[in-house]
Amino acid sequence: MLYLSISGFVLPGHLNNETGSKRWVVSQNSSLSVNGSTNVNKFSCVIPSYDQMDTLTLKESKMDKGVILSGNIGLAISSFDCHNSAMTKQLQKTLEEKQFPVLHIRFLSLNKLPELASKPESITGLVEIELAGVSKRFEVNYQISQDNQNVVHLLGLRDINFSDFNLTPPRKLGGMIKTKDQLSVNFRLNMKTMD
Amino acid sequence: MPPTMPISSNLIKMKKILLTGLIAGCILFVLSYGGLYLAVRFFPSLFTEYNNPLFNSDGSRDVLFYMHAFIISFALSWFWDRFKGLFKGAFIIRGLEFGFVYSIIALLPVMWISFSSLDITVVMVLSWFFYGLAQAIIAGVVFAKVNP
Repeated sequence: MLYLSISGFVLPGHLNNETGSKRWVVSQNSSLSVNGSTNVNKFSCVIPSYDQMDTLTLKESKMDKGVILSGNIGLAISSFDCHNSAMTKQLQKTLEEKQFPVLHIRFLSLNKLPELASKPESITGLVEIELAGVSKRFEVNYQISQDNQNVVHLLGLRDINFSDFNLTPPRKLGGMIKTKDQLSVNFRLNMKTMD
Repeated sequence: MPPTMPISSNLIKMKKILLTGLIAGCILFVLSYGGLYLAVRFFPSLFTEYNNPLFNSDGSRDVLFYMHAFIISFALSWFWDRFKGLFKGAFIIRGLEFGFVYSIIALLPVMWISFSSLDITVVMVLSWFFYGLAQAIIAGVVFAKVNP
């Protein structure tokens, strides 16, 4: 009875019945891109492959209908590649790479338990982004799916501003060339389920 | 003892240099930054390389940037007053020659050392050279007219 009340009734079938949680290991072919623009060009900077083995844990919250998604990924600012060395150096300088070398994304929650089907499902969730020593919470739009090899694909999209992190977008030639405050952050995590 | 100019004559000369420099500075300010604004607007691809940490990006030196038109005008005004006797002909010709002389003596070596030591493109250096040449010709024409 005790087992049933913990695992059978409380938890949905696709969560781990023993622990009530699911663990996903982030694989190396995960990536993050940042898209922005200036008044003279557009830029797209990517961290093409994630070189850590971090784990995200999915757990249904007992307090409300939401789902706790916990875990943290740390991305080295020096790994950004803007496909133009000057632009890459500029982004790293703007993000104060020397003082704050790592961008952290802390996963906090999802609005609902994902179905994990092959067809991408739209969900939202809360994350905390730490950049240049400033942490800020954002609601992120996700597309989540699972392929036939049981790899979970989590695509997150969110617009942020340099100013959210007390960063000043670069301006050149007395302000004649200005970088727009808004950046579009786009991350793709490919994750394997841990038993 | 070499003969010296009276103090009042020196003051008048200085006033002339400053006034001519100020007039040229105002004209260069409008033409240089107006031209730069239009160039950024209509030829944005020429300016993508400026997204580089080599160039100041926090706005802390904007005042210095916009003072450049006056700095170059006052410097050239003194140079003109000192050597204007060497430039002959109509005021347009005198202004043109003055601009070319300045560009060869001052701009070319500076552009040469800039390109050889900084991570900048040929297009960028050439644009600076022609920008400076245009500024010096305009200033020269103004000087030839105001302080012949």
